Amino acid sequence: MNQRLLTILALGFGALVILQTVLGGWLFIHNIGISPHEITTYYADKSLHGLLEVLMPHILFIGIALMVVLHFLAFIEVMPQNTRTRFTHILFTLYFFDQLSVLPIMMGVEIFSILKLISFIGFEVTLAWLWIWMFKITLVTLRGGD
Amino acid sequence: MKFIASKKLSDNVTLRAVILWMLITLMLAMGLSLSAKRIDFGLTPDAWIATVMGSEAEFVDPLLFSDLLLGIHTDLFGLIITFILIASLYVRTSRTTSTKITLFAILLITLLSYPLGLLTSSVFGAIAVVIGLSSFILFHSIIIMMAMDLLIALIRRRL
Repeated sequence: MNQRLLTILALGFGALVILQTVLGGWLFIHNIGISPHEITTYYADKSLHGLLEVLMPHILFIGIALMVVLHFLAFIEVMPQNTRTRFTHILFTLYFFDQLSVLPIMMGVEIFSILKLISFIGFEVTLAWLWIWMFKITLVTLRGGD
Repeated sequence: MKFIASKKLSDNVTLRAVILWMLITLMLAMGLSLSAKRIDFGLTPDAWIATVMGSEAEFVDPLLFSDLLLGIHTDLFGLIITFILIASLYVRTSRTTSTKITLFAILLITLLSYPLGLLTSSVFGAIAVVIGLSSFILFHSIIIMMAMDLLIALIRRRL
């Protein structure tokens, strides 16, 4: 019975994370658009000051939140050490590309809008997978405590 | 914050202090989150409905969809992180497995109902707003209660 409930919990958490990822994508499409041209148009209208006002809290607080989430990886032995390290580098790199690519877009370098789109999708999907995977490990710990 | 690796958190004085303050911070954050929501949406279900859907009688415009989406996305990000932190600690308590699973299940249901309720308010009407915001309050109440439970266990060196 507990096994079944744990599976339901895992599915519930998975649904929650997917919902949050969909909301992030929805917000992006609603405010900015999905094509590179729409992204370029949106950021071309912004001032450097306006962008920095958004970038600063994002870089600081999402960076701290990522640290909190990723520190769990250091203590989970299921995944090989190299993979965990690589995974951390990938997530932070995607995060930086996602956040910082808006600066060259604002300056008129349109090619960065494609980088922004790819890094945004990559970051959202990778983070969602990480959350689901770590919650699964938490449930395995819970089952082991019986 | 080595929740998973450490056998007993109370054995490490520094770790115990960090977790203790983290729990206090989380409880404070959840309390402030509730207060902020009360200021934004009001205290009664009628006020919630008027804020989200607008009210002709009170000359209140409905909430812009982009603002609603942004608010829910930001809220949910913080609430999921809080849920992960509290859940990974709560797994270690001496409560029965069924109690833990029941609490986790209620938290997950409320976390799902909050955004879904508000987002579907244009389809299902006032009831969806009431479900969404009631879930928000219930989630916060339970998470504060669990954090308090953990705090007491940590102070008694049972974690």
